Amino acid sequence: MNIDAFWIIFTGSLVAICCSLLGCFLILRRMAMVGDAISHAVLPGIVLAFLFSGSREVWTMLLGAAALGVACTFLIEFFHKKALVQADASIGVTFTWLFALGIILISVYAGKVDLDQDCVLYGEIAYVPLDLWLTETGMNLGPRTVWIIGGVLLILLLFISLFYKQLYLTSFDPAFAAAIGISTTLWYYLLMGAVSLTTVAAFESVGAILVVALMVGPPATAYLLTDNLKKILVISSLLGVIASAAGFYLALWLNGSVAGAISAVIGLQFLLAFVFSPTHGLISRRRIRTAVARA
Amino acid sequence: MKLALKRFLPFPFITLLLLLTACEPENTPGARAHQQGKLYIVTTTGILRDAVANVVGDQAVVQALMGPGVDPHLYKAALGDLQTLREADIIIYNGLHLEGKMGEVLEKVSRQKKVWAAAEGVPEAQLRKTPEFQDSYDPHIWFDVQLWSQAVEHLSRKLQEQDQAHATQYQANTQRYKSQLDSLHQWTTKEIASIPAQQRILITAHDAFGYFGRAYQIQVQGLQGISTVSEFGLQDVSSLVNFIVSRKVKAVFVESSVSQKAIEAVLEGCRQKGHEVKLGGTLYSDALGEAGGPAGTYMGMVRANVTKIVSALR
Repeated sequence: MNIDAFWIIFTGSLVAICCSLLGCFLILRRMAMVGDAISHAVLPGIVLAFLFSGSREVWTMLLGAAALGVACTFLIEFFHKKALVQADASIGVTFTWLFALGIILISVYAGKVDLDQDCVLYGEIAYVPLDLWLTETGMNLGPRTVWIIGGVLLILLLFISLFYKQLYLTSFDPAFAAAIGISTTLWYYLLMGAVSLTTVAAFESVGAILVVALMVGPPATAYLLTDNLKKILVISSLLGVIASAAGFYLALWLNGSVAGAISAVIGLQFLLAFVFSPTHGLISRRRIRTAVARA
Repeated sequence: MKLALKRFLPFPFITLLLLLTACEPENTPGARAHQQGKLYIVTTTGILRDAVANVVGDQAVVQALMGPGVDPHLYKAALGDLQTLREADIIIYNGLHLEGKMGEVLEKVSRQKKVWAAAEGVPEAQLRKTPEFQDSYDPHIWFDVQLWSQAVEHLSRKLQEQDQAHATQYQANTQRYKSQLDSLHQWTTKEIASIPAQQRILITAHDAFGYFGRAYQIQVQGLQGISTVSEFGLQDVSSLVNFIVSRKVKAVFVESSVSQKAIEAVLEGCRQKGHEVKLGGTLYSDALGEAGGPAGTYMGMVRANVTKIVSALR
């Protein structure tokens, strides 16, 4: 069990870092729920991939899901920019519409086939240690998921550290970024491409709820603890890793779902920060208010 | 920022590695089975557990991951399941995508462990298949008792190869169980045939009874497809209402795993058209009833379903 525990926590941590890093930028752009949106919007991609290939094999499903993930973020931006609706409304309209499209496709063409994200795409983090990558000669290279998510994390770390300035400026102050010649549209699409890649790969490895929770929870908590974006990135990654480990042991203790337990710990972290944060917490704010009143 | 990451990242992982000396549970069913020198067999559904238990008797310990009343399409794994699968000597699942993603994971595990699919025991020609798509078979094979008997036979043969010390006993158990299944099949055929032919229509919420309908000559109409996201459409409801009224169907059935709302809309529609149709009761579809209860075994479940269907439709 020990090596299993290690792989589960390790995978959870890798996913946590990927999601938290992206989540920090998404929250700045008021697009935190884009992960949830993608989790729904992939449905028509899955159905179309099945209708074209006739198979429910994992790579086919991933391809369809990734295509729709990217399409979803593009449509969100398109409606936001061209129809001038709020970002949250644009997210809402886009993913409900795409999800509905998927349901219609299923009921018209594939009603007799068991086809939805839950049974063909979403993975289960508890089973990560079972899905090993074996070479032709039978050598055990560890769980397949660790390699996939590890690769994604590597790309993300490169992307964010090389282009930190562009991502930071276009998220924080688009007008200034445009003034000094940084294309906000280009960086939006690059960021959203990274979000689609990460979420779809992570859905396949650990399931949807965990990805959505990790994308919003740790960054939101980190924003309560500091105002410096670099620190926010580091703190939210750390919070995600801690939540993965604590969630694992919570699930072990309760014999429950690992994804559920990790998400519960994320919620708890947020509550703690909300009450006890030295700068933005309930207690410290009250103390400041009384201090101001006295003075 | 790169510096900061480098400074912070190793810490959690090192602490984790230290934490990982978590205790190894020793009093699990698997560990106890191994202490007694018995095989530990893990199945996904309770229906499979029942089949295997009838083959091995008390020569092996058989455990199901999913409890009574659990829909295998929507099963969420608990962390303990991983431990259970790790301890298993043999893992048996239904196959044909009944277990969704979990089936794929188990297929991967088969490279290192004995993992068998019950559906492999059924010849492909006898599987129900959606004509438009390859690789889309109806997984609910246990509703045809004869098909299920073939699947049991297949599992029994594999078990005999695996556990040769007990092979003769397994063989005898299987023969006895198969003859029970045979008489169950004949009883079911006779019971369903006792419903007048024009009333032999089984209406349920979702499409699980295809094999049952084919084997026992009863027309099956589901309100929604196999997938549970595609909810019933308004037209589905109204065409089903028209069908029920025109054929004067006496009763419709609900399943434990699917919402009653859908079928209630149908009942209301029939009432408005002046045709009184009653609820025939809840049928067991993808899971057994409570252990120890009348529907706690496969044979008990079939009998409970058939009794409900016959008493409501005759």
